[in-house]
Amino acid sequence: MFRRVATAGLVLVACSNPAHAQKQTIGAPPEASNMRLVGTSDLQARSAYQPTIHHQGDRWIAYIGHHGGTDDVPAPVNPMTGQAEPNGTSILDVTDPAHPKYLRHLPGQPGKYEAGGAQMVRICDGKSLPKADPNAVYMLRTFGGEAHEIWNVADPANPVLVTRLGGLKDTHKSWWECDTGMAYLVSGAPDWRTRRMTQVYDLSDPAHPQKIRDFGLPGQEPGSTGALPTELHGPISTGPAGNRVYFGYGTNKGGILQIVDREKLLNGPKEPTPDNLRFPEISRLPMSAFNGAHTTFPMLDMPIAEFAEDRDGKTRDIVMIVDEAILNECTEPRQMVWFADVTTEARPMMISSWTVAEASGKFCQRGGRFGAHSSNESMAPVYYKKIAFIAFFNAGVRALDIRDPYHPREIGYFIPSITEATDKRCIPIEGGERCKVAIQTNNVETDDRGYVYIVDRANTGLHILELTGPARAAAGLPRN
Amino acid sequence: MRLGAAIAVAAIMLGASGVGAWQLAPPPADEAVHWREIAWPFPRDGWPAGRAFRCDGACAGAELYVRAKRGFCNCDRGVADDDEVDRVADIDLINPRFAAAAPGEAMGLGDMRGRARRYDLDMPDGARRAAIGVAVSRRCDLLVAAAQGRGEAGAMQRAALAFLQTQAMNQWIVAALDGR
Repeated sequence: MFRRVATAGLVLVACSNPAHAQKQTIGAPPEASNMRLVGTSDLQARSAYQPTIHHQGDRWIAYIGHHGGTDDVPAPVNPMTGQAEPNGTSILDVTDPAHPKYLRHLPGQPGKYEAGGAQMVRICDGKSLPKADPNAVYMLRTFGGEAHEIWNVADPANPVLVTRLGGLKDTHKSWWECDTGMAYLVSGAPDWRTRRMTQVYDLSDPAHPQKIRDFGLPGQEPGSTGALPTELHGPISTGPAGNRVYFGYGTNKGGILQIVDREKLLNGPKEPTPDNLRFPEISRLPMSAFNGAHTTFPMLDMPIAEFAEDRDGKTRDIVMIVDEAILNECTEPRQMVWFADVTTEARPMMISSWTVAEASGKFCQRGGRFGAHSSNESMAPVYYKKIAFIAFFNAGVRALDIRDPYHPREIGYFIPSITEATDKRCIPIEGGERCKVAIQTNNVETDDRGYVYIVDRANTGLHILELTGPARAAAGLPRN
Repeated sequence: MRLGAAIAVAAIMLGASGVGAWQLAPPPADEAVHWREIAWPFPRDGWPAGRAFRCDGACAGAELYVRAKRGFCNCDRGVADDDEVDRVADIDLINPRFAAAAPGEAMGLGDMRGRARRYDLDMPDGARRAAIGVAVSRRCDLLVAAAQGRGEAGAMQRAALAFLQTQAMNQWIVAALDGR
């Protein structure tokens, strides 16, 4: 009897004081503050990269890109087909977020980890693209590292291939303007000196892609010599209205935020000479050699409450920069979140940073990566310029109040429980390696309803969350 | 004498293993070399400092810089082309305006595979130097080395690679790649 009470007491302590948990165990509850689990999908135990949520007719569809398979399971079995399929894209109906319905697994490039799969995915409606089939819904995805593909997913359970742009290497996190069709495809062109650069395409008619130009930093172009500037990770465009493209270079090293004039990029001289590559650039913000720029998320014209009485500078143009941690168990400098004030575009300045406090969960001891990876990229009003969600690997997802970007503040978090499917993460030690199992929240996205979707790199699947309590109030959402 | 023998053994091992595209012939006795450790000469950047050495003997004056870059390699492809050597091999620390003298070559260092490439460097003092960049990978991690000197590039290359094959350096390389 005493033993049972004591055990119950220990569980109670563990649940009420989750910040001090060091090692995750199967069956233990998730760790959470002001965030609540709504629904889950195991995603067939596939390592997940990027979720994109699309309001499609009267349904909400989640498209989730996957990395390649693992050494242990190179091609997991799809229970819907009974076949072993190389990781690609999971397509789920999340109209009822408490009961996600798995519709289809679309296989990707065979290969393990970064060498296979179909990590990236973006969606545009045909009716919004200038020259597309208005009845179609288009999914742009990478195919491993070797190609970009466009599928018609009007029937998300039965995608139809429309276009493939192949012969590439290291394709990655692209951006697609759904109102113009302009796409900034992250690729490795065979003749460029860098693994990843930008290939600008007009995809307003997805069936007939039109190449606009290649773009990168001077020194990356074919025929150049000398030091190679940091490779691209991904861009985000504000479209013709904002006329800016924010390029992020680097993952965990030598990051650069590059601010580019979109009009000059699209219509300026296109031959990849150093002068032509410099022509559309407005400015750069070089970061420390310790940090990269995985995500560069623009939040322009933000009113800053603290500056409300100032005659000038009441609103600021902000870019949130998220680094990517890539090494397990804190064997690299901390990768975190940075906020840059780019109001004076020629002189962007870093104004603040934010990280999960390591001691709050002893995250360096838990296993796997600890540090930032990515933010939500939805610009839907529900959260835009108010709340940002940051995927922080073994620290789960973190909700930040960014209304004052000079002083970002955490208002909630959720660290999912591990499952039997959660894969191990190892580090070399003398004479071998040591492995631990921990959640690895890789990416996060939100939908217009306010649901938060996080996916796991270590095969734990999809978790659909919602804000609760003060965090929900901060977003202006009705009480739940 | 013992060093010369060690270099000869290392060179023979490399040749016997068949992994090196470069044949490391043991230097003649009168060309014996000694690498003396010096302070890491470059400012802090994204990776921890490595080890630096200056050559006495046949490659007198040449300097060799070696370090691990963990997590910086394409885990699946490794060091697949010369662009990768240009990107990672630390030649830019010596002079960011380097130019390759020739296409690189595949090579091995112990169990690790990668490439090496020769460069010409125009130094700020007007001098012209030869340099060698080496990058080999172990899974997602890199071991890079850069050597520079005024002498003949081939001799410097042979001496540098032989030194990297010594038991002492091999132990340090393994430890550095393990993060120890």
